[in-house]
Amino acid sequence: MVTSQAPTAGRPRGELVLGIETSCDETAAAVVADGREIHSSIVSSQVDLHARFGGVVPEIASRAHLELINVVVAEALVEAGCDFADLHAVAACHGPGLAGALLVGVSAAKAVAVCRSIPYVGVNHLEAHLQAAWLDEPDLTPPLAVLIASGGHTMIVIVESRGRYRVVGQTVDDAAGEAFDKVARFLGLGYPGGPAIDAVATSGDPRAVRFPRPMAGEGFDFSFSGLKTAVVQYVRKHPEVPVADIAASFQEAVVDVLSTKLLAAAEAAGARTLVLGGGVAANRNLRARVDALAASSGRRAYLPGPALCTDNAAMIAATGWFRLHSDGPTPLSGGATPGLRLPVVG
Amino acid sequence: MLLAIDTATPQVGVAVGVDGAVVGRVELARGQRHAEALAPAVEYLLRATGISLDQLAGIAVGTGPGLFTGLRVGVTTARVMAQVLRIPIVGVASLDLVAYPLRHTPRLLVAALDARRHEVFWATYRTVPGGLQRVGDYAVGDPAELVAELEAHGEEALLAGDGALRYRAEFEAVDRLELAGPEFAAPSAGALIELAHARFEREEFAQPTEVVPLYLRRSDAEIEWDRKPA
Ligand SMILES: [Zn+2]
Repeated sequence: MVTSQAPTAGRPRGELVLGIETSCDETAAAVVADGREIHSSIVSSQVDLHARFGGVVPEIASRAHLELINVVVAEALVEAGCDFADLHAVAACHGPGLAGALLVGVSAAKAVAVCRSIPYVGVNHLEAHLQAAWLDEPDLTPPLAVLIASGGHTMIVIVESRGRYRVVGQTVDDAAGEAFDKVARFLGLGYPGGPAIDAVATSGDPRAVRFPRPMAGEGFDFSFSGLKTAVVQYVRKHPEVPVADIAASFQEAVVDVLSTKLLAAAEAAGARTLVLGGGVAANRNLRARVDALAASSGRRAYLPGPALCTDNAAMIAATGWFRLHSDGPTPLSGGATPGLRLPVVG
Repeated sequence: MLLAIDTATPQVGVAVGVDGAVVGRVELARGQRHAEALAPAVEYLLRATGISLDQLAGIAVGTGPGLFTGLRVGVTTARVMAQVLRIPIVGVASLDLVAYPLRHTPRLLVAALDARRHEVFWATYRTVPGGLQRVGDYAVGDPAELVAELEAHGEEALLAGDGALRYRAEFEAVDRLELAGPEFAAPSAGALIELAHARFEREEFAQPTEVVPLYLRRSDAEIEWDRKPA
């Protein structure tokens, strides 16, 4: 049961939105005021539950979300120093994501909405990644060229203004994070693959092997499954090459493709700012490269901290607040849409 | 006042009751999906019965076994409502809610819900003064396994639930077995009010985090994992 000892005077001000995120393997809840000020952001990762399977198991994720949801929500309120009665609205990610997982967050948010008679807002997970940029950089001025790269998505989005998006490129097969997971598993580096490869690569030579740069120079779409195959074939043929060199060279190829296409998309759209989002944005190599590319092209790089790049509920609460004011609440009859797309202009 | 929710089958069932008697109920046998129908049904029912949320003294929820997705919607909703309203919660097995309305039969009573993949969830009950007593555990398996069990019992039996109807052809071959009709296909939200009331009277309620679905089946990934040679 939730209790909050915070005195009324110490309670956060503004329109408080409780955000809930359960689209994949993080159970998260956050309290954000006026779409800007994060009062709490709790993320309970299920990585350990999925590690032995080498990837997220939807049924295990859904069960874990249900078991964790009450505690994570309670912690978010306690840390923010507020109570359900202080909430202005409640937002949940309603897609894209795993069907059973999404339904836990959506059901929880609607239960709060019904019990408190406050608006419910269903939030698009991809839009939330885009809006996360404003959470600690309120002065960000569009147009922005944003790369969202995670285990589930790889896309370049031009943000024309807050709420107006254009998807200019996306993966035609595996997501970037998926490629990291598969290659890490093949190299015996464990799960999740992104951090594992990032760590091993520091002691490797990124120029040891010249892996292909798939779809380089062909617009802004990505393809990673061929790159994974190239790594497998190379290692079979050259078992003597150290794993650290393979990992570093593979990472170099991915970072090269992601950063080059992001810059090219920014040039095409006239965007002066490069932004990263999604779990792969925590990769140190990618961050350094995007920073360098921005500097050399007279642009700005905005790289949110890993806590805002990876899945979190603060971005859901912030986007919920924004959408509540632009479009109004979502009806309680709204469901979850596993294949939800980013709302785009044009 | 109690609010009762069961979403273990395609039906979305919600009821409100006082002292174990149903004041109102909504049972949507088919139509919108659980997540879409449940919250509006709860709102409608409270409005139509004139019951306000602060009058609710407890929440009761059917915990399955049943369809995983439906269960998660119902159990999550009940758990979070209990948390927000700071009221106790009880979980009751959904198979019990199929059997309870038929408790006056002198026969062996069996509840069977469709578990998909050509399997059913089932439990067996006998009438006792004031209610039902379950005989044996909640089970999941091929309808043929239940047929074998019923044949082993060899006594007059009544079989209810959507699992019974779905595999009607297999069950109709069993001697001395009668199938209850579609009226008894889904867990009864009214039965949940009655059964939960008794539990609340005995103060057998739980914390929201203690109420979890009765899955009976592990995830495919875990089943596969155990099949792998070490
Ligand atoms: Zn994400």
